Amino acid sequence: MPDTHFYRYDDYDRALVGERVAQFRDQVRRRLAGELTEEQFKPLRLTNGLYLQLHAYMLRIAIPYGTLSSRQLRQLAAIARKYDRGYGHFTTRQNLQLHWIRLEDAPDAIAMLAEVDMHSIQTSGNCVRNTTADHFAGAAIDEIEDPRVWCEIVRQWSTLHPEFSFLPRKFKIAITGSPNDRAAVRVHDIGLRLWKNACDEVGFEVIVGGGLGRTPMIGKTIREFLPKDELLAYLEATLRVYNRYGRRDNLFKARIKILVHEIGAERMREEVEAEYAAMRDSALKLSPETVEAIARQFAPPVLRPRRTRVPEVEAMKLENRAFALWLKSNVAPHRVPGHAIVTASLKPAGAPPGDASSAQMEGVADIADAWSHGEIRVSHEQNLVLPHVAIESLPEVYRALEKLGFAEANVGKITDIIACPGLDYCALANARSIPVAQRISNHFAELARQHDIGDLKIKISGCINACGHHHVGHIGILGVDKNGVELYQLSLGGDVDFGKTALGTILGPAVESDKVVEAVEAMVATYLGARRPGERFVDTYRRIGAQPFKERVYGNS
Amino acid sequence: MEIPSEQPIDQGPMLVLDNAEDVTRLGDRLAGVKLIVLNFPKFTDGRAYSQARLLRERMGYTGELRAAGQVYIDQIPFMLRCGFDSFASAQKGFAEALAKARTLFSVVYQPTGDGRTTVNQLRLQHRRSAAA
Amino acid sequence: MAKNLSGDMQVASANRLSDGAVVFLDDFGQWTRRLDRAALARDKRTAEILLARARAEAASVVDPFLVAVTESGDGVLEPLSLREKIRASGLTFAAIAAEAVRYA
Repeated sequence: MPDTHFYRYDDYDRALVGERVAQFRDQVRRRLAGELTEEQFKPLRLTNGLYLQLHAYMLRIAIPYGTLSSRQLRQLAAIARKYDRGYGHFTTRQNLQLHWIRLEDAPDAIAMLAEVDMHSIQTSGNCVRNTTADHFAGAAIDEIEDPRVWCEIVRQWSTLHPEFSFLPRKFKIAITGSPNDRAAVRVHDIGLRLWKNACDEVGFEVIVGGGLGRTPMIGKTIREFLPKDELLAYLEATLRVYNRYGRRDNLFKARIKILVHEIGAERMREEVEAEYAAMRDSALKLSPETVEAIARQFAPPVLRPRRTRVPEVEAMKLENRAFALWLKSNVAPHRVPGHAIVTASLKPAGAPPGDASSAQMEGVADIADAWSHGEIRVSHEQNLVLPHVAIESLPEVYRALEKLGFAEANVGKITDIIACPGLDYCALANARSIPVAQRISNHFAELARQHDIGDLKIKISGCINACGHHHVGHIGILGVDKNGVELYQLSLGGDVDFGKTALGTILGPAVESDKVVEAVEAMVATYLGARRPGERFVDTYRRIGAQPFKERVYGNS
Repeated sequence: MEIPSEQPIDQGPMLVLDNAEDVTRLGDRLAGVKLIVLNFPKFTDGRAYSQARLLRERMGYTGELRAAGQVYIDQIPFMLRCGFDSFASAQKGFAEALAKARTLFSVVYQPTGDGRTTVNQLRLQHRRSAAA
Repeated sequence: MAKNLSGDMQVASANRLSDGAVVFLDDFGQWTRRLDRAALARDKRTAEILLARARAEAASVVDPFLVAVTESGDGVLEPLSLREKIRASGLTFAAIAAEAVRYA
């Protein structure tokens, strides 16, 4: 097994996950034997990530802070092959979903996860979910500190938390360590942003009450600067306030964002601070040794500076237009000169966004072993990331990804679509997402045109729960059901970039499924006709407003 | 709320609390109390977990703390960690499950008032003894 | 939550407990994968009885409910709502195969 550059379980972690598998096996046995009713069993299976969807059970596997070793990715491929239909769906929450699991097999599937130090604990249910992070963490050029150290600390603290396993509603935490937020911290129940204050100390800005879903809201900062060692005390204080006062009378008003909205950010801050005052300097305070021991495990691979201009790369750029475009869209700067961060696009033309077959997962694992120190990341944009690739290896990595179908030069472009599984799988959905994404993807497949259109994020959700993050898409598409017909509501101007986080505005009446591509084409044409040099789609929209888009989309109907 | 008759109340004052009650304001009402009953109107309503910890860890309550209402086998490990020490449950197999619940998970991550040594404390001890 | 469009003809459906598969109640009180073998209620009262029967046979399935269907001239049943059509006949796009490395 190659060295990993992130947290590895010790015997304690392994014992707990093993005991959890045994507990779940017993719960499944009791359910199948009729000792538990579905009502009693449902919350138990949900806190192990097991949903019942339209056609089968779905297992949601946590990928903490989106970081995987090649060994873990191979095991996920093996689980999908053995207990599912040989493919999986990477989600916006850095999880992997297997959509065809049998209840009888679920304990064995999660036992296989435990073999590689993974689990599905708390990937559903009204508890603290998988804590997400910047997918470029540990490699990004703009990073102040690796957020994954803190995600791991939160993971351990939140796992089987005795007080917070029956919250009013689910609870999502995201952490970023960079000023360019790639973890969307303003749209989480708690968002944490590491930053350096005037005294050169690094601490957390604590943002509470953001979220998408039925009532989208941008989170409010309730503490500008929290000393890092008090993180767990502050989280425990916040969760306790939420557990005690969050609404339980109405499922749709139960998230913390509604509490913050109803009592106000200031009152929320007072409540949390009062609770925190009673908890600070308690056993929750993190000792430097504890933090250090975890941080050490995230020590990045030793990368020597290498050539940044490589003749082979330059030559291939001239010969191969797709490669040249790929370098522009799918390759990001690394903090060590001569290295790069490569995004493997899980959005080949016409494919269901975020899906990968077992063979593709194994292929990516092989590439990671050969060229990225055995490490893979899952991005909230449903792509896989190779975080540590030498620039001189880029041609080989490109060719290897091309064989898998994951070398599409479309990251951040119009076909890099985020989509939830939608009505094809999901029991909550009102309309399909994947077929709509596929049609848009096929329509705009030509790479040169995509690059001409530039950065444009399309996000599609099949219902108001907004798993496809449509509120924060430059173009958001929300499927609704109107008297049995699927209609799609279009919105414009959403954004998750830090400092610019915005919710999209609905453009006009929802359109029929077969009119969605046409409508997107009309919006793109409006942008292309009006843009000024250097303006992205969303910049032009902000400058000229919705009206020209509206006229173009609805003008002739 | 009713206390099941097979669980007789000890001599002494008791309190039966709604799960919306702010236990940090009980003050003098806690004096001499031997039994507090906290309620789980639904097992998915977890407010009483916070009440239990506040009573044990902030209000210094040391008497009997009983979980009543929808109290099921799979909640026992959480309840024990929050300071409950008695349970009113009609679920079949509850007593057997209770006997096993303390050893279901050999490790815990969170410090609570139950006094169990957390994983981080064990790791620290281990590192310090290795360094010594 | 089941979203039934209004309609007179109903079948009883559920997901099988052991594997989540979509099943329908047949005339013999057995759960079957085949919609064409489902017991058909042609009016509201029979539908209520059908649902009661389904609930009585619910040990091996999860949360039975009624699905509104139409019957074509040659007796083929089809659910009215898109959701139930998808439940009855599967994904509306081609999922990738386990060994596939490229989409066609």
